[in-house]
Amino acid sequence: MKTEDHAWRDLHAHAAAQLRADFADRTLRFARGPAAAEWEQLHTHAAAHLRPGFAVRVLRAARALPGGITLREQLTFGAATAAICLAAVVLFHARKANQENERNLAGWQQLANEADDLDQTL
Amino acid sequence: MDSTATTALADLVRRAQKGEETAQRELIIAYQHRVAGFVFAMTNRSDYVEDLSQQVFIKMIRALDRLQAPAQFESWLFRLARNTCIDQLRRQKLRRIFLPFGDEHENIPEPPGAVDTEELDALRHALAQLRPQDRALLALVQEGRSHAEIAETLDTSVAAVKARLHRAREHLREHYQPDHED
Repeated sequence: MKTEDHAWRDLHAHAAAQLRADFADRTLRFARGPAAAEWEQLHTHAAAHLRPGFAVRVLRAARALPGGITLREQLTFGAATAAICLAAVVLFHARKANQENERNLAGWQQLANEADDLDQTL
Repeated sequence: MDSTATTALADLVRRAQKGEETAQRELIIAYQHRVAGFVFAMTNRSDYVEDLSQQVFIKMIRALDRLQAPAQFESWLFRLARNTCIDQLRRQKLRRIFLPFGDEHENIPEPPGAVDTEELDALRHALAQLRPQDRALLALVQEGRSHAEIAETLDTSVAAVKARLHRAREHLREHYQPDHED
């Protein structure tokens, strides 16, 4: 056999030696995409990260944490706040209007008194 | 799931809805591994599995009385799981915007092959290349949800689910490579 043929044969042998023994199976496996077994492994791996007593911890946490605010509660709270603000505005306005009326009445009273005094003087 | 199992599940859910703690515990135990798998497929983070699964089940217990159809429990639970994971991923993204240096501390990758087989490692890598919505889609299919149920969960049409699922599978297959050659 020629030296060149030898060299080529060695090169092929060297290249082939780089491949794993299960090369064909492995290539087919990856070409097909993940099978159910891989998803199963993923689930098993994830499940292993749950510490024992998970359910008990969840129930305890659910009882211990304050409940979230529901939409209804938010709406009620908003409506109550708006009602309180409105009542405060109405009260403030009524009080201001009363004070203004009293001041105006006092002014008119004073004017009437002065007019009476002037009448009597004349 | 056969009709006997569906009826048994609906009964269990009704008991849990009435606040029966044994039934609530049974529900958690029955679904904890599946929810953990879903969370892991969505986030690709082992350290999130326990916390996020716990959040999902706490939400489940609190909102259980609002579930109108106990027979729809599984779809409803995985919708909760999906929304919880998407919220977590959004928060993580926001945190990265505001804390650019937090990423290295927070996102410590698990060394490939440390706990996984080559195939699992490849699947995790491939999932990580997909959008969270596509990961949710594939994980829901793995959970045995029908196209109609997924469409309801994602608030879209069955045709759209089929198209997105086809694309997601293509992408997954594209990135499913040994030793992450892509």
